[in-house]
Formats: sequence, structure tokens, C-alpha cells
Amino acid sequence: MATIIEGIGLTKRFGYGEAAVVAIDSVDIRIEEQELVMIMGDSGCGKTTLISLLGCILTPDAGELRIDGNEIEPTRQDLSLIRRDKIGFVFQMFHLLPYLTALENVMVAMHIAKMKTLEAESRALELLSRVGLSDRFHHRPAQLSGGEKQRVSFARALANQPNIIFADEPTANLDSRQSDNLMNLIQELRQEHQTTTVIVTHHEGIKENADRIIQMKDGRIVDA
Amino acid sequence: MKNLFLKDMRYRRARVVLTALGIIVLISLILLLGGIMNGMRIQAQQYVKSTGADIWISAEGSGGAFIGFSLLDEESMAGLSSFKGLVTDSASPIIFAQARPNINGKPTKAMVVGYTLGELGGPKQVVEGRMFTPRTYDDYRPEDDIPYEVVVDEKMGLEIGEIINISKEQVRIVGKAKSLMFVLDTPLLFMDLRSAQRVVLENTPHINMMIATTLHKQLQEQLDANIGTIQTTEQTAYNINNLQTAEEVAANLDVLNTIEARSLEQTLNDIMEYWVDEPMKAVQFLRVMLWIAAGLIVGMITYVTMLEKTQEIGVLKAIGASNNYVIMLLLKQVAVISIIGVFIGYCLAYIFAAAAPIFVKIHFVESIIVASISFVVCCGSGYLAARKAIKVDPMIAFRGEIDTAPIRYVDMQPVESAVTQD
Repeated sequence: MATIIEGIGLTKRFGYGEAAVVAIDSVDIRIEEQELVMIMGDSGCGKTTLISLLGCILTPDAGELRIDGNEIEPTRQDLSLIRRDKIGFVFQMFHLLPYLTALENVMVAMHIAKMKTLEAESRALELLSRVGLSDRFHHRPAQLSGGEKQRVSFARALANQPNIIFADEPTANLDSRQSDNLMNLIQELRQEHQTTTVIVTHHEGIKENADRIIQMKDGRIVDA
Repeated sequence: MKNLFLKDMRYRRARVVLTALGIIVLISLILLLGGIMNGMRIQAQQYVKSTGADIWISAEGSGGAFIGFSLLDEESMAGLSSFKGLVTDSASPIIFAQARPNINGKPTKAMVVGYTLGELGGPKQVVEGRMFTPRTYDDYRPEDDIPYEVVVDEKMGLEIGEIINISKEQVRIVGKAKSLMFVLDTPLLFMDLRSAQRVVLENTPHINMMIATTLHKQLQEQLDANIGTIQTTEQTAYNINNLQTAEEVAANLDVLNTIEARSLEQTLNDIMEYWVDEPMKAVQFLRVMLWIAAGLIVGMITYVTMLEKTQEIGVLKAIGASNNYVIMLLLKQVAVISIIGVFIGYCLAYIFAAAAPIFVKIHFVESIIVASISFVVCCGSGYLAARKAIKVDPMIAFRGEIDTAPIRYVDMQPVESAVTQD
């Protein structure tokens, strides 16, 4: 299989001088197409920072990043097209827009991609039904449970049929039954859409779903 | 999904209302303060312009008509009737004195205007009742119970036949004139020159000023009146070009000892400076400060409102929104809020102006300028905040951080004692 994500010497620091914190320290990483990779490690080891760098929502201080063969240069190019067309992100804290309903939260991603409203609505309804939220179309995030918000977030990530899905601690707010359901859903969607999936988790119970596990410690990959 | 910005505004209506309220208050205050200044300017010019005179003469050293204390000997002014450049016999004596008439037992501010009926200085006509009866020194009859008559401003709320006290004298109201106020809604009380001399000048044969019309103005008015009916002949053009202007006549008169002469334009400038600009310096300063404060406050409100949306901006960027998409979304919100704020502030200013106890005149052009500047300030500050917010990586924006220090590629030497984090 072809490499879809390649990071070389990725480094990210927060703060300057004596207060500098190295969150990711010269990490080399390679992820193949349609792979389901889980990034695991202790809390604070840099998992979220790494997935944010790979998902183009955080700019590295050093290193090279290639997605689908294209070199990413955050300081020189507009990353919105890559985020819109190639990447779907599921956040640990969901990050749904509070003033939109579940349906609208999924539609907004397609609206940004300039999809016609009727087409977007039809696809959003389909995606929400697929994640089991057919009775929650018109509920706002404040009216949804953690698991439901997580599923809306998944539906939004899939809206523009991305090549890669990044999910940050998708099971952190779910009980074991909901976690199993979500992992089943991820596997099904992965099969349906042939997406590459990168999941950050410290949940040992779901690691049997992974094709490969990347272990991190102190901002470095210790086992891939 | 077309109205994403409206959905956000509806969701956060309390904040939208508060932001708009700030804009409303500031816009209406600026317009009202400007309107008060405009009102004073208009009223300060009303009487002077209404007389039709373009030469104003006061006592030497008075600083001009309406400025310093001016007392002229009426008889010594007789020579003005045939002064070169003036319409023959147009020179008219005027008394213009501050008074505190007692109306219904309550002292009220007013200006007594004494003039000779049929000459310059009085109202064009009465809207109710009649003009006062002209008096001479000889027909003053102390045995009359109330020998003085006055024509009052129609807006004073007085009735014909009512008696008011001016100085120590009782005066009967015989007519009402179309409203002609002096600065800050000071009403004018028109009296016969002789009566005014008795009432406010202790029965001395003095006047405060003389006013007159120049031949230049007279001919110009005739020309203006006849435009379209007769052709201006070369001779007429020659005549008007050879007549002295009001400024030139005033300069010639000013050479004479004992008097100071000003043209209409100079007199209006003097009045503006002495009655409006000088006393209103503090208000002008306040107005400028209010402009600056309004700009800063409106700008800051918009700026902070936009910065509060940093997390949402991060979400939109993370799901693929371009910087332009985000900026347009925010600017639409700012534009709608500022249009609502400016419009309501504009309407409120007009309502307050109509209800104000003094004359307030809001100029349309001025209100358009205020509205435009407010709109630009709102959108400008909203744009600056949005620009600042979009520079942040989505991941950083989720934390609500907007420290946009430039991205720096650092050297790769390992940092000792570095702590790692997610």
C-alpha cells in the first residue's frame, strides 16, 4: 500500500526560553493507506500534539510533513483545502458549534466545501442515521449526551468523504458498551469509505481493532 | 445553512443586544451633542439674518454688535442716512438688551428688541394679534395704566392681552411673532424703540446699535428677484460691480470715530465666536472626547466580541473553512450589529431632539457621516480581531489562546530538562 502520511523530524515546542516545553521531539512517522493506526502512551506523552500536527491543525516548529504525496508547508500555503478535502477530525471535546443542531453541524462542513444545501442536507441526514442519531437531527449539542456528540462529530468528519480520519480519544467519554459500538462503527465506516484512520487513545480495551499501534513516550515514538 | 452568522447571532442574542446597545447610546449621544451645537448656531443667526440689514454698527470699543456693551447717541447717528454706499434712510436704530421678564410670577430669560415700526429690525409680520402702536417722546402718557406694548414669540406660550413685567414696568402683549429665537432658545420681545428706551434704558435717548442696508445688497436682491423675467443688462452689471460691498462700506464707516461697523458676514462670525464657540468650548472638547471614546468603545466591544469567538473560529478552520470564509462570517455579524445599532441610535437621536427642552438640529449629512464612521470603526475592529484570531492554529484556538507570536523554526538542539505534554 502507498504511504498516505509521512512525517520526518516533526518537532513541536510550546513556550520559549527556559519555559519551553518540547511536546514532540523529532518524530518520524509513516502511515499507509487504509491503515487503522492507534497512537497510545501515557497521559502527557504528546499523542494529541502529534495527531494535531499530522491533521494540519497545528504548525510544527521543525520537520517535514507529506499528506497523500503533497508536502505541507504551513507557513506558505493555505491548509484549508487539505483540511476540507482530505482530512476529517474527531475531537476529544467534540467541538461542535453550539448554535447549530446536529444536522446543521454536519451540514456546515459540506457548506464550507460549497456543496448545494439540498444535497448537503440529504447527505447529513444519511450520515446521522448511519451513526444512529436519526432521532436527534434537530437537537443542539447542549441537548445531546457525550456519546451522541461524539457520533455527530464522526458524522461531520465523514461529511466531505476524506481520505484520512483522525480521532482524538474518541472513547474517552463513553462507557465500555458505547466504546465497543463506536469502534464497530469506525470499522464499518472504514470498510465503506476506505479511509485511513488514526486514533489517539489510552484505552487498552480497543487496541485489538488496530492494524498497528504506535507507542509514544516523552514526545518520541518508542515502538511502531 | 446560508445564514450561519444569523444563527450564531440568534443563539447569542443577549450579547448582540448588549453590543448594539453600546453603539445605540454612543451614536445618539454624538448626534444629540452635535445637534445642540447646530441648534445654537442656527438660532444665533436667525434674528440677524431676518432683519435684512447687511451693515451693523455699534459703539467704538464694543467689539461689534451683540458682543460688548454698546451705547450710541441716537441723534449723532442721523448722518448715516446719507452715507455713501448705504440705501438712503435705511439706517435704523436698534435696542437689543437682555431682560428677565416676570411671566406668571416667574423670571424668564428673554431679549428685548426695540426698533422703529416700518424700519429695519423687527419681525416681518405678526401671526396673531397686531403690532405695537408706535410711540414718540411726546405721546407717552404716564397716566395710562399700561402704556407699553410688546409682540412676543409665539412659542413663549403667552396670550394676547396678558401683562408681563420687564424691569420695573408692566407691558401688555398685543401680538405674537413667528418664532425667532436667540441662542439657547432665548425668545425675542419686540417693542417700540421709545418704549424699549423707557423700559430697559432708564428713559435715556440711547440705542445699542444701528443697522442699515447697502445699495449693493439692494441691487443684488432686485436682480435675484427679476432673474428669468428680465435680462441683466451690461449697465446693471456695471452698476453692481461699481457699488461698494458691505465689507467695503463697513470699512469706510469704521474709520469714523465713536463707532465700529461690521458687514453681515463679519457680524455673524462675531456672534458665532462670542455666543457659541467661546462658551461652548467645553462642550466641543467633550464632543471630540466623546467621538474618540465612542470609537474606542465601539471598536473594543466589537474586537472583544470577535476574540471571544476564537474557539469557534478554530473549529471552522479545523473542518476546512478558509480564512476568507471565517472573516466574511464574522464581518457579516459585525455589519448587521453595527447597522442595527447605528439605525436605532440615529432614530433615538431624532426622537430625543424633538423632545429636548432646547432647539436641537441634527443635520442629515452629519448623521450620515457619524453613521458611516461608526460602521467603519465596527467593521475595522471586527476585521482586526478576526485577522488576529484566524492566524492561530485551530488546535491552539480550541484552548481559547490567541497568542499569535510568529511561527519560528527553531534549531534542533535538544532542550535539556524539557517537559513534554499532550
